Amino acid sequence: MSEVLDELTFLDELVGDRAGDWDVAGELPAELLRKLGAMGILCAEVPSKFGGLGASSLRNGELTAHTGALCSSLRSVMTSQGIAATAVRRFGDRGQRQRYLAELTGGRLAAVGFSEPGAGSDLAAMTTRVRPDGGSVVVTGEKRWVTGARYADLLLILGRHGDDAAAVVVPADTPGVRVEPVPAPMGCRAAGHARVVLDDVRLPADAVLGGGRQPLSLLFTTALSYGRMSIAWGCAGIVRACLRAAAAHAREREQSGKPLGEHQLVAGHLADLYVAEEVVTQVCRHASALQDTGSPEQAVAAVLAKHVGATHAARAAATAVQVLASWGAGDGHVVARAYRDAKLMEVIEGSNEISRLVLARHVLDNA
Amino acid sequence: MTTANPVTDAQTVEAELLAFLTERIKAPVRPDEDLFKAGLVSSMFAMQLVVHLEDTYDIEIVGPELTLDHFRSVEAMTALVLRLREGTGADE
Repeated sequence: MSEVLDELTFLDELVGDRAGDWDVAGELPAELLRKLGAMGILCAEVPSKFGGLGASSLRNGELTAHTGALCSSLRSVMTSQGIAATAVRRFGDRGQRQRYLAELTGGRLAAVGFSEPGAGSDLAAMTTRVRPDGGSVVVTGEKRWVTGARYADLLLILGRHGDDAAAVVVPADTPGVRVEPVPAPMGCRAAGHARVVLDDVRLPADAVLGGGRQPLSLLFTTALSYGRMSIAWGCAGIVRACLRAAAAHAREREQSGKPLGEHQLVAGHLADLYVAEEVVTQVCRHASALQDTGSPEQAVAAVLAKHVGATHAARAAATAVQVLASWGAGDGHVVARAYRDAKLMEVIEGSNEISRLVLARHVLDNA
Repeated sequence: MTTANPVTDAQTVEAELLAFLTERIKAPVRPDEDLFKAGLVSSMFAMQLVVHLEDTYDIEIVGPELTLDHFRSVEAMTALVLRLREGTGADE
């Protein structure tokens, strides 16, 4: 655990109390991202043989939660980097794993393009195409809401490849790539969300992970499974930040001659926040344990953790704003940020509705 | 946790996979049955299958091995397991 504590302390020192300023400015310092990237913290589960920290899902989860408590925008970039690394590990051939994982743990930043204008929850409707052309491939399409794209050196683009699918590593400076920042996103405002347009982008054939022609469903499920775990732990961080802020305020601020926390209705809010923190942490630990032990149940546990994390985080953030009232309503305040960031967690990496459909399917098939 | 199965002849792998699938799908499965055509494998279940094969047989299914054809039937998965156990994966 001492390695985890070192990394958490390092994150505390690097981020400090600057997350509110980054949120207002809508930008993270690029040098911070590169520093964390070069330490392997942004994709900590990459094995040490590829230059990573070789963290378990649990250790990476605690890192992610800590980051999420400090700054959800930074956690979002971390999630993107982790998804990219996971896709490379799973779908890349040996040479691609060695090359790209070394880059991702060496300070280069990656973003992943899933959603398209006509393909959100229904990713099977995506129209981005990866077309072989001689010794090259040509990628054409449009991806929207690509987290971290503004900072990325590499864009991992998922597209149709024949009747199947492929993940392609696209250097962001390749001719034909346009990265257009999303203006003033509602939450995670410094996470570098962007629209990415790929206009006949020509790449060497070995940019296609594993040669492509892989099942679309497996590509998405693998990548999204990591993303769901990361967001679930990030939500644990949001809830922890809300709990701390609300408890501190309830201890310090007095109204009607006693601390807010001694007023029963406010005390009820604190209890609710504590329950949320415990519930989200435990469901995340459960899902990570299944992943760390190689259980086939890990995919559905990730959906459950993400769903529980997102719904509790959204509720906890609203509760924390209620406790702090106008003290927490200022732009950039930790609970104001949490309120906006947490809402976003309910719609990404599988909306609440999609999560419930997946969980219902699991019940019908197994219960 | 790796629960590597020391017995990896075709018959044993096939029997284990049939039992795993039958338990999950709650219906009998034939070794040559096309699981995708029969609608028996969802994306979530496909990932469960990959993880199950890796953990049970101490193999790594990555890169070019992740094609649908390798998971299309119990026979195909058995062949994949045996090949990867022998260390002759396409990625080696």
